[in-house]
Amino acid sequence: MIPGNSDTKDGILFCLPFLIVFALFLIFPMLFGFFISFFDWDILSTRQWKGLGNYIKLFKDATFYSSLWHTLLFVLISTPILLVIGFLMALLVTSKSAFHGAAENVFFLPYVLSITVIGTLWAWIFQKNYGILNQFIKLFGGKPVGWLTETYPAMWSIIITTVWWTAGFNMILFSAGIKQISSEIYDAVKIDGANYIQTVFHVTLPLVKPTTVLCLILQVIASFNIFGQVYVMTGGGPHGSTRVLVQYIYENGFNYFKMGYSSAMAYVLFFIIMILSLIQYKVLGQEDY
Amino acid sequence: MKKNICNILILLALLIWIFPLFWLVVTSLKNEQDVMSDTIRLLPSNPTLVNYIKAFSSTEVFPWLMNSFIVSFTVTIGVIVLDMPIGYALARIPFKGRKVIFWLVMAAMMIPFQVIIIPLYMQFNQYGILNTLAGVLLPRLAMPIGIFIIKQFYEGVPAALEEAAFIDGASRFTTFTHIMIPLGKAAMVTTIIISFINAWNDFLWPLIAVSDSIKYTITVGIANFQGTRGTEYAMIMAGALIASIPQFIFYAVFRKQIVQGLAMTGIKG
Repeated sequence: MIPGNSDTKDGILFCLPFLIVFALFLIFPMLFGFFISFFDWDILSTRQWKGLGNYIKLFKDATFYSSLWHTLLFVLISTPILLVIGFLMALLVTSKSAFHGAAENVFFLPYVLSITVIGTLWAWIFQKNYGILNQFIKLFGGKPVGWLTETYPAMWSIIITTVWWTAGFNMILFSAGIKQISSEIYDAVKIDGANYIQTVFHVTLPLVKPTTVLCLILQVIASFNIFGQVYVMTGGGPHGSTRVLVQYIYENGFNYFKMGYSSAMAYVLFFIIMILSLIQYKVLGQEDY
Repeated sequence: MKKNICNILILLALLIWIFPLFWLVVTSLKNEQDVMSDTIRLLPSNPTLVNYIKAFSSTEVFPWLMNSFIVSFTVTIGVIVLDMPIGYALARIPFKGRKVIFWLVMAAMMIPFQVIIIPLYMQFNQYGILNTLAGVLLPRLAMPIGIFIIKQFYEGVPAALEEAAFIDGASRFTTFTHIMIPLGKAAMVTTIIISFINAWNDFLWPLIAVSDSIKYTITVGIANFQGTRGTEYAMIMAGALIASIPQFIFYAVFRKQIVQGLAMTGIKG
């Protein structure tokens, strides 16, 4: 391209600053973590080789299974809700409704806030004695619910909070998908006499399928990593009923300093996410983007 | 008639969705009697700023804000300095190893941060940078989000501009600093906003990296209110609102870039 071509040298030089930081603070810790997972290791004493001991212990640990189950439960319940609400929001935002601009702001704004702000705000809304939700329930003659202090509603409270926080993100992706559908298609089905509901089900939904798949995968991966909401709102309680995988990793690592055990668990999570990511890669590779 | 019903339903949905934010603001302006009231008080009987004063005077909100600013600001500058050249190189320099580097960085995007918290903690413990702001911000610099925004932008820039400079005898570096960087302002702005907001909102790593409360970032500080100031709801809400000021400002000014940037990089919380 240029006389005395130095593309290769230039290319490497331009990439180098980032690659150094990348190797130091991402690649190295990733490999180091795998190494740690084969040891009994707290920060104070010297490490002890355990081989696959941590992994074996993991698969006998009832708390690990319950954390995995809570994470799965969260993923299974929140994902469909988040997709449907995100899609409905996108329908409104891309419509000719007078509110479409306001709606986009209202739905998206929560997403830019920090999870600690979201968590403390909703913990206050769900507060048993003075929280606004229970005050409404009392107003209509109901009994106050311990949203965050009783086993059954706690996970639901976290799901509601998460939906409020991130549905707007799915809305953005869906809106982008809907905007790509040519208006001629809509004109054509209108002439054929289709009503709004029919149009949504037979035109919009099938045509945004690639977006739906993308949303689904991003959502599942994000939900597997859930932590902030739980840490702030319930701390994994009551009675461990909202303890998710990352919460358990955190507890083992930083409350009990079982670094090896905690790392082994992190790698199991990594393995799950990697499989999901590979599916993502595969599916996205098939669809035409 | 049908349209009216539809509009009322939409309005209702919007009101429900905005309500928590409204509640955040209203609670922060209430006095204690209003907060600890058995009946619903949608508006404060006597709006007061006492909770904000309390947040600043009786807690460490101010140093936390400063810490968050230092961390987010440094991360943003670092990300621009590191990501602009590699983003440009991956898009425009046909060099050997480009594909490998790109796929390596891509693959790293899939690593959930949770996987590296333990090793990072032990690594930083060794370096003696736990409990410092440097320790909080360094891992953020290794996140490749900015590269994607920048690379995608430069792929769309016509090659003629660069070639003209080369013909005039400019080196790759001069071309980059004098032509490509000024051209890439739009990508830079998006990267700056996304990096700043992400760094500001970061929670898990600052929570782990810092143990002295004076060195907390604001997100960690607010999260700890739950445990230390549990029943001072109005004060906590004031703190949460203070913690969200940069996002509100950024959102008001750069709404378009935020929406685009987030949609493009597909990052979910």
